[in-house]
Amino acid sequence: MWEKFVFELRLATQEIVRNIAQFLPRLMVTLIIVIIGWVAAWLLKTIVRSILRLARFDRLSEDAGATQLLRKAALPSSSELLSRFVFWVAWIGFIMVGVSVLGIVSLQPHISNFFAYLPRLFAAFFLVFFGLLAASFFSRATLLAAVNAGAPSPRLISSTVRTLITILGISMAFEELGLAERTVLIAFGLIFGALLFGLALAFGLGGRDLARRFLEKRFSREAHQEEREDELSPL
Amino acid sequence: MALSQDPLWYKDAIIYQVHVRAFYDSNGDGIGDFVGLAQKLDYLKDLGIDTVWLMPFFPSPLRDDGYDIADYRSVHLNYGTLGDFKAFLDAAHQRGIRVIIEMVLNHTSDQHPWFQESRSSRNNPRRDWYVWSDTDTKFRGTRIIFLDTELSNWAWDPVSKQYYWHRFFSHQPDLNYDNPAVREEMWDVMRFWLAMGVDAFRLDAVPYLIEREGTNCENLPETHAIMKDFRARLDREFPGRMFLAEANQWPSDLRQYFGSGDEFHAAFHFPLMPRMFMGLKLEDRKPITEILQQTPEIPETCQWLLFLRNHDELTLEMVTDMERDYMYDEYARDKSMRLNLGIRRRLAPLLDNDRRRMELMNGILMSLPGTPIIYYGDEIGMGDNVNLGDRNGVRTPMQWDGGWNGGFSSADPEKLYSPLMLNPVYGFQAVNVASQKRFEHSLLSWTKRMVKVRRSTPVFGRGSIEFLYPANHRVLAYVRRWQKETILVVNNVSSAAQAVELDLRPYKGNILIEMFGRNIFPRIGDLPYLLTMGPYQFYWFRLRKI
Amino acid sequence: MAEETILTDDSLRELMNVGEVDILVGVPTYNSANTVGPVVQAIRAGLLKYFPRQRAAIINPDGGSNDATQELVRAASISDMQHAAHPQALRTLHSISTRYEGNPGSAKALYTILAAADLLHPTACAVISADSNVEPDWIPRLLQPVYRDNLDLITPLYRRHKFDGLLVRNVAYPMIRALYRKCVREPYSSEVAFSGRLGSHLLGRDIWSEDMGFSGGELFLTIAAINDSFRIAQVFLGSKDGLDHAPADLVRAMRDTVAPLFSALEHSPPAPASSSECASVPSIGGNAEITLEPRRINRKRLYEMFANGVVELEPVLKVILSPPTLTELQHGATKGEGEFCYSDELWVRTVYEFAASYHKSVISRDHIIQALAPLYRGKIHTFLLTNRDADGAEVEGNVETLCLAFERFKPYLDDLWNGRK
Repeated sequence: MWEKFVFELRLATQEIVRNIAQFLPRLMVTLIIVIIGWVAAWLLKTIVRSILRLARFDRLSEDAGATQLLRKAALPSSSELLSRFVFWVAWIGFIMVGVSVLGIVSLQPHISNFFAYLPRLFAAFFLVFFGLLAASFFSRATLLAAVNAGAPSPRLISSTVRTLITILGISMAFEELGLAERTVLIAFGLIFGALLFGLALAFGLGGRDLARRFLEKRFSREAHQEEREDELSPL
Repeated sequence: MALSQDPLWYKDAIIYQVHVRAFYDSNGDGIGDFVGLAQKLDYLKDLGIDTVWLMPFFPSPLRDDGYDIADYRSVHLNYGTLGDFKAFLDAAHQRGIRVIIEMVLNHTSDQHPWFQESRSSRNNPRRDWYVWSDTDTKFRGTRIIFLDTELSNWAWDPVSKQYYWHRFFSHQPDLNYDNPAVREEMWDVMRFWLAMGVDAFRLDAVPYLIEREGTNCENLPETHAIMKDFRARLDREFPGRMFLAEANQWPSDLRQYFGSGDEFHAAFHFPLMPRMFMGLKLEDRKPITEILQQTPEIPETCQWLLFLRNHDELTLEMVTDMERDYMYDEYARDKSMRLNLGIRRRLAPLLDNDRRRMELMNGILMSLPGTPIIYYGDEIGMGDNVNLGDRNGVRTPMQWDGGWNGGFSSADPEKLYSPLMLNPVYGFQAVNVASQKRFEHSLLSWTKRMVKVRRSTPVFGRGSIEFLYPANHRVLAYVRRWQKETILVVNNVSSAAQAVELDLRPYKGNILIEMFGRNIFPRIGDLPYLLTMGPYQFYWFRLRKI
Repeated sequence: MAEETILTDDSLRELMNVGEVDILVGVPTYNSANTVGPVVQAIRAGLLKYFPRQRAAIINPDGGSNDATQELVRAASISDMQHAAHPQALRTLHSISTRYEGNPGSAKALYTILAAADLLHPTACAVISADSNVEPDWIPRLLQPVYRDNLDLITPLYRRHKFDGLLVRNVAYPMIRALYRKCVREPYSSEVAFSGRLGSHLLGRDIWSEDMGFSGGELFLTIAAINDSFRIAQVFLGSKDGLDHAPADLVRAMRDTVAPLFSALEHSPPAPASSSECASVPSIGGNAEITLEPRRINRKRLYEMFANGVVELEPVLKVILSPPTLTELQHGATKGEGEFCYSDELWVRTVYEFAASYHKSVISRDHIIQALAPLYRGKIHTFLLTNRDADGAEVEGNVETLCLAFERFKPYLDDLWNGRK
């Protein structure tokens, strides 16, 4: 019986060794891929960083107000962040490829999902980024217009616009990522609708006089005369 | 070759204006004469002329180039005898050429026996034949015509110690048309010439026949009554003859002279002529079209006579001050060229001897509605001599060849009635008939071809005119129609090449046939018809539907 | 080059019919039927009376009016097609109206006029705005120095109220004077004349391919003429109708004046100066005059809008202005109307910092212009206060002081521009 045990053990050990022997090269390849991947990702990160610097991405992100947000969160600058993000995405990609070489079947669909998910990740990223940019631009435009028109509480109007557009951008990003789609949709709809309803109410009730004066200015001459006495001819 | 019997012959005529004294001297006395003129009739025939208009050839002291007449029924010695004239007249008729002579109705020379008698005493039977007054204040407000020489329309007669009226030179007293004897005598004079065979009279200075206080003494109704009477007699006794009015007036005033076809047959369109020159200088058709827009319709049997130049100055009486200043500055910068509100220059010098401009002006002359008149010498491009005083600069001897006296006379040059043109540009050696006859491209040959094309259709003389108004104002375009024929005339009055789009939709479907080369141009369609034209170029197109 | 597309086929056909001219007058319009009629009639009368023998034409680049503007312009033409004798007109006068593509803008209109001038080669051109109060005898004053005396650019001088034209007096004039070293009082005006030479030169410049929508085309003329040493003179015209034609909106006015000015600094940078003195520009027919009749103006509101603007626009101004300048302004905003004074020096620094920020496009350029509006109101408040009882000479003196301040601070602008600060 001892011989049988030893025999089986030897068979099993041979089996294991054979498996390991089959597995090891793959592991080697995987490791090589991972290492190459690291190098490639590092190169990519450097290239991306240089491109972003050339394209003055930091400036753009400052405009978008993204830089301020990042600073508050004690994160590095956006171009640095983006390049690091690119690095990690690239390296993880290579790792995935390496893992797929290992041939662990159960992991395959996850790997392909990962790659399928990547474009949406980037899309979401850009949605947020450009959403921030647009929010910044339009909020500033609103602020200037309100100030120059002598409208009351220009900052409030400006922030409202900024918030709205930011929320819109983030919601669209979430939708793109497929995270809690319906929840986000409903929440966004509720907030947006409520905000607009509130504004309409406020404008309608409280802004009655303002509206009247506005219409008068447009359609009647006497109001115009009064304005004119204050306005000088700049040219 | 018989004369055409058409009573409206003057509508198809091509008239050649000539002074017998300037044309050809047959007897070597230095002055042209009727015998000589008769010898040159073949030249005129060859040119395509069918009517000759003679400047006054009556006995005269010649202080106004013959318009001061001293004897109405004779011929000045210098030009020959009455028999010579008759011979010339017959020779002309044989070649199918009609003859228009001058008849100065308004005034006579102060050397005329009538005036000599009239002034001799206040009781003379002919006293009443002229217009006498104790003062020179009557008929105030009447303009003076010869501004450069006369200060008043009245002159003092030391013999009978009264003032006499004269609208022209002081040596040309006005006849008194309120006197029926004057009217009868003048008709008798006209009958004398008509009976001899003369085809028409150019009645000089007709607006001024009658004077009335409180008027400008021009175009008065009484004047028209007199003329209608003469016309009635003419139609009765000499049908087919013509009265031609010389009246330098605005077109609306000229209209009266046609009556309702019972007064003058024809009149000169004076206001058009300076505007043709103005349009050419401005490079804008506006002056030309506007004067023709203002020209009234005339009776069917009547005709306008058109001309570029004549024996007088290029008159600027019928233009505004601004226009006159412009014409003076552009055409008569040298003040010696200016005379009596006009410019005393010939066609070629006025146009800087530019062949293309001369062709264009002749083209317009021959295609506008009316009968064209060619002034002698302009068909070869003769020049002028402003130093000869008054208007004699444009009345120099005709230049026949490059030889002795330009072939005008065998007399010594010093004996000629007027010096010849001598300078290298316009002198007789450079500009003469003989050398131009040799070449197909000479102005003379060109004029001959032009006259031929003009005569190939009665549309130009008899047809209606309708202006096209292309947006390009440098192009003068119009359509002439008569019976079934339609002709399109397009003139580029600018010195630069032009592109013009014409709206020819009413004539859609017609093919254009250029009349000189007879080549076909594209058919008229729906789109604007595009023509491109060289500087000063003109087209005559016959429209045909085939 | 946009040249191929700015003249439509129809425009080209009309130009072909006009042909070569001696004088070309351009009148840009956009829905200007209220005002353009008298303008073209005055131009026509002036041309007929003072240039009767010259070939002239009026051209109207229109931005797509849907009122009677184009008909009114065409009605000014004189031709034999009208079948009415014009005893006062020797020649045909074409008055044509053409549409350019895209949105209305004065740069495009000017470009159209220059393109037409290039094709018709006039000796002298003029551009007169559709709401100008031009009179017939302004035409010879503008055109004769160009047509007869061979000058290249004629800008106007007016008789104006001391409180009119403040944007020009406080920004455009001093800045152009300091940077380009030529004392052109009205660098951007509704009546200007220039030679065909200058027109062709400007047409050939590279500035047209950019955004052709914005206004201020006339400014290009002035700056090109100064920079490239063309012969400039100023001519006294008459009274300028201030109030009736004031654009109701200050921001629009600033877009029309200040934006092109800042842009011009970029694509037509001032030529290096030979001297620090500003070259005077000869005046013909008199100097600019100032009228002093009393005007009712709400100064308090100006200060309020200034103060409000400084406070509310802080996030925007922080990006545009330097910290010391912004601090001083904020201080001024809290001082109260009686105490506040926008000094010349502060104003110069403000303007220069705005110009530099515009150049670097720190934020959208249009936003930069809008942000300047409240600050300008503050400056005007001070101007009105200082000159409340001043006569013409004093006002001129104060403007002169401001100009000198602009000149003194020019090195500061250089530093800002080149990023040294």
